[in-house]
Amino acid sequence: MTLPRRGARLAWRVIRVLIPLLVSAVLLGVLAFGYGPVPPLGPALDPGRGVWTSASDAAPPRSGTLALPGLDHPVQVSFSSHGVPSVRAASEHDVFLALGYLHARFRLAEMDLERRLGEGRLAQLAGPSALGSDRFELRLGLLRTAQQEWAQMPKSSPAALALIAYSRGVNDYLAQTRRDRQWPALFSLAGVYPANWTPVDSLVIQGDLTQDLDFTSTPLDYALLDRTLGTARTMAWFPILPPNQQHPYDPGPYRRAGLAPIAGQAAQTATRTHAAAAQRIPQTEATAAAALLQQVDALPAGQLHTSGPDSNAWAANGPLVAGHRAMLAGDPHLPQTLPSVWYQVALAAPGYAVSGVSVPGLPGVLLGHNQHIAWSLTDTQNQATLFYTEQTSKSHPGQYFWDGAWRRMRVVRYTIPVRGGSAVKLTVDITVHGPVMTRAGQTTAVDWMGAIPSPDLAVLLRVNQASDWAQFRAALADWHAPTQNFVYADDRGNIGAISAGYYPIVRHGDPWLPMPGTGADDVAGVIPYSAVPQVYDPPGHLVATANQRPVGASYPYYIGTTADFFDPGYRAGQIYASLQHQRGMSAASFAAVQGSVTDPLALRIVPKLLAALHSPNHGAKLTVPEQQAMHVLNAWTGSMSAGSAAAAVWWTFWTDYLDAVFQPWWNRAAVPVHKDRTGLEVSPVYQFSLDEVLEHWTLSDPHNATFTAPGGHRRTAPEVMRAAFGTAVAHLARTLGGAPASWSWGRLHSREFPSLTQAAALGYGPRGSGGDSWTVDAAYGYPVSRSGPSWRMIVQWTGRGRYAAEGIYPGGQSENPAAPWYEDQVADWWNLRYLPMPSAAGTTPGVIRWKLVPNG
Amino acid sequence: MAELRRLGKRGAYRLGQLGSPPATPRKPPSPHYPSWVPSHRGPVSLWLLGCLITVAVLAATAGIGWWFMPFVAGLAGGIASHLGRWRLRTALLATVVVAALGWAVPLGWQAWHTGAVRATARVVAALAGLPAHSPVGIAVTLLVAVLQALAGLWLGRALFPRLPRPA
Repeated sequence: MTLPRRGARLAWRVIRVLIPLLVSAVLLGVLAFGYGPVPPLGPALDPGRGVWTSASDAAPPRSGTLALPGLDHPVQVSFSSHGVPSVRAASEHDVFLALGYLHARFRLAEMDLERRLGEGRLAQLAGPSALGSDRFELRLGLLRTAQQEWAQMPKSSPAALALIAYSRGVNDYLAQTRRDRQWPALFSLAGVYPANWTPVDSLVIQGDLTQDLDFTSTPLDYALLDRTLGTARTMAWFPILPPNQQHPYDPGPYRRAGLAPIAGQAAQTATRTHAAAAQRIPQTEATAAAALLQQVDALPAGQLHTSGPDSNAWAANGPLVAGHRAMLAGDPHLPQTLPSVWYQVALAAPGYAVSGVSVPGLPGVLLGHNQHIAWSLTDTQNQATLFYTEQTSKSHPGQYFWDGAWRRMRVVRYTIPVRGGSAVKLTVDITVHGPVMTRAGQTTAVDWMGAIPSPDLAVLLRVNQASDWAQFRAALADWHAPTQNFVYADDRGNIGAISAGYYPIVRHGDPWLPMPGTGADDVAGVIPYSAVPQVYDPPGHLVATANQRPVGASYPYYIGTTADFFDPGYRAGQIYASLQHQRGMSAASFAAVQGSVTDPLALRIVPKLLAALHSPNHGAKLTVPEQQAMHVLNAWTGSMSAGSAAAAVWWTFWTDYLDAVFQPWWNRAAVPVHKDRTGLEVSPVYQFSLDEVLEHWTLSDPHNATFTAPGGHRRTAPEVMRAAFGTAVAHLARTLGGAPASWSWGRLHSREFPSLTQAAALGYGPRGSGGDSWTVDAAYGYPVSRSGPSWRMIVQWTGRGRYAAEGIYPGGQSENPAAPWYEDQVADWWNLRYLPMPSAAGTTPGVIRWKLVPNG
Repeated sequence: MAELRRLGKRGAYRLGQLGSPPATPRKPPSPHYPSWVPSHRGPVSLWLLGCLITVAVLAATAGIGWWFMPFVAGLAGGIASHLGRWRLRTALLATVVVAALGWAVPLGWQAWHTGAVRATARVVAALAGLPAHSPVGIAVTLLVAVLQALAGLWLGRALFPRLPRPA
């Protein structure tokens, strides 16, 4: 009896020690190494070394001297009160090294996130939830393209030297941060720290931008639409050429100049036909399209080109502008995030002086001005992504049939590190067209112009240094992707625009659909640079691009369809209407147009709606709320201001009108909207083809057969409008309550600038806002818009080498949410105020001054 | 009352001896110490000084990245409670206060130095997916120190159980 009791007592003693020992070990282990999604909180929350050190980084920098290894000579940096630096250096090498240091100092986490995104390394930071994005990017091959671009770049070229100097500047900051252990909070919390910066990383970030502006899944959507709605309806509702009246900036005349070869490839001589597909898409192709769209869905928001983020840029000269000089305005519409995609800067060195916005991760200024020219960009929206169905066979594993023979696929293997999990292997097969993106249903490869090495940085540096149209245009001849409308104004009073980039032309077949990969439908070449859309000193003294189709119907080349993703032309039309009859305009005149929230579609459609409502022949008598809502519309001028009741009625009506016309057809055909909402849903938010055709029918073809729902009684446009109006008023009464006069657009619609970290509290908004998809001051998305003018700039030339330039963006120069420069420009942006841009000469005095000196 | 009724009756006093085995000798009851008698060794001021030194050590070692020091301090606290015969509740209170202060001091220094600790605390809470208020970020940080210290105290007391005070 005694021995067991003693044993039990001993065991209890051991257990009494073992339990706290075990608990302590587990606790310390989890704190040290993390567990699954839980980061290593011990080092992360250490008040001396962890996230708390980012508090030091939150304070604005102090004036002083910093030693930067790699500099050849001292560099002067002066910051404005909003943290916009003016950099003066003795050489381009030093100016780009300083820019690399500044980008890293204020945007390191953003740069690392963007590089991880493009290189398929997000899961290493964010865990398994990012694996889908990593797989997609590694298949698509931004990293492969960047590596190829770097390998092909002469290492003594200006672009290579700029990349090397820039990387050195970033790495100077990384070395300093490693030494001081003052990492941005994101890294400390995740316990994953950025590796050294390389030129390839910068080229990957260039690839991210190209993907965002140029890669599209529209042919996959066309495949699903064709499979469900049929070819005739698909091409009637998503036509190649827009049915509505538009204002191309290059009205012609045009000339056919044959085809140019893609760099590194021989030109093919064949031309494509414009015949519509006669047969329906097979089920296997629809399955492949759906599978690929599912992959695309795994990407973080804003990483794929959709119809949302567009841009405005225009230039005027002659009698339209005060002093008969030239003036330029630009507001690129991109995902509005905190921190912004832009970092404002002025850079000056002998032979190089430029002011504008740069992209963290890239040397140079993308939009801005130098001492002689100003430029801004909008996306051309042409089709640059082609999908090919590869012919494969079980008897030829690892091969595909192309150009009359079986060819072996090139195979690339990747290992994707995953935070809190095991590394994942990925094998990518590559055909002559490009990477195989899916084997579901059938083997589908993508041929994307963004995957062709493009010397964008070299072009950009030449643009930065150009002093007239000839140099500007010559520099852009080598720009391949993303295709952009470059709008131009110079100090001699000239203006122009050119849509530089690759426009692929296939030998045969319908490029808006996935095509057979056996060779007959391959890309034959691209539109020669001399024949791409362009205009110089137009007779109307105004050139405006707002993503509308840049050319008219007689343009002799295929450049894309209405769904891919040319704007319906509403913004461009509004800009031309607002400016073309003005005289002696000032910067304030341009600012008023940049802030315009007039909806041109509403101006065209509302009179038709009111006519339908007033007519006794188009439906039952209006109810009292419907009559009140109609009165609200009667006096409306089309302004989508936040306080407008009519704006709320209009938008809700148009949404319900689209739905009433098209949704019955969608339902009958069982269009798989869930596969890709942005490409397939009937909505004014995601794609614009349906808006264009419905506008056209309402104004010119009110008896179109589409108004009659399948199996329903015959209807006309006024009847459907009246029914949709009733539905809209009922919707609004339920949502907003009260009388129609008390409704407001700002209660339905808001803007939000989310944080790149996805932490909701670190973003701005949502805040009730005016604007919609078609206003010049655009707001894409409903009920919450997260894309719109990401930078507003106006440059007015007042003489040779003299200018007044102002700009603003919705964010701030620092990515640290605790810093005063995190969102300090949002209020000015919101209220349409601008800040003076620092001088391109880098001489703007600042409130904080750094002297960067060579180390040792 | 039942025992009283047996008095004077036959076998009344032998019953216990013949029946069950002899009872195990009971431990003498612990001596009662009136509450005004200190249960610990040494002057309180010395212990308080020890606590202050520990706070300073925690604050200093946080600066060099030794985030696990609150655990070590807790372990030391557990052993100290053995040596000093501290009551559990006192040891717990001291451990919590010392650990929290040990990490609060460098936070306070950062707040004074940068003026951005509250804003950073909000960022920390937001990035961690917690309600984005600065007290939450600070509380979570101090909680990590306190949890470590409590685990250390538990282990320390398990390794070195508190000894009874001498009679």
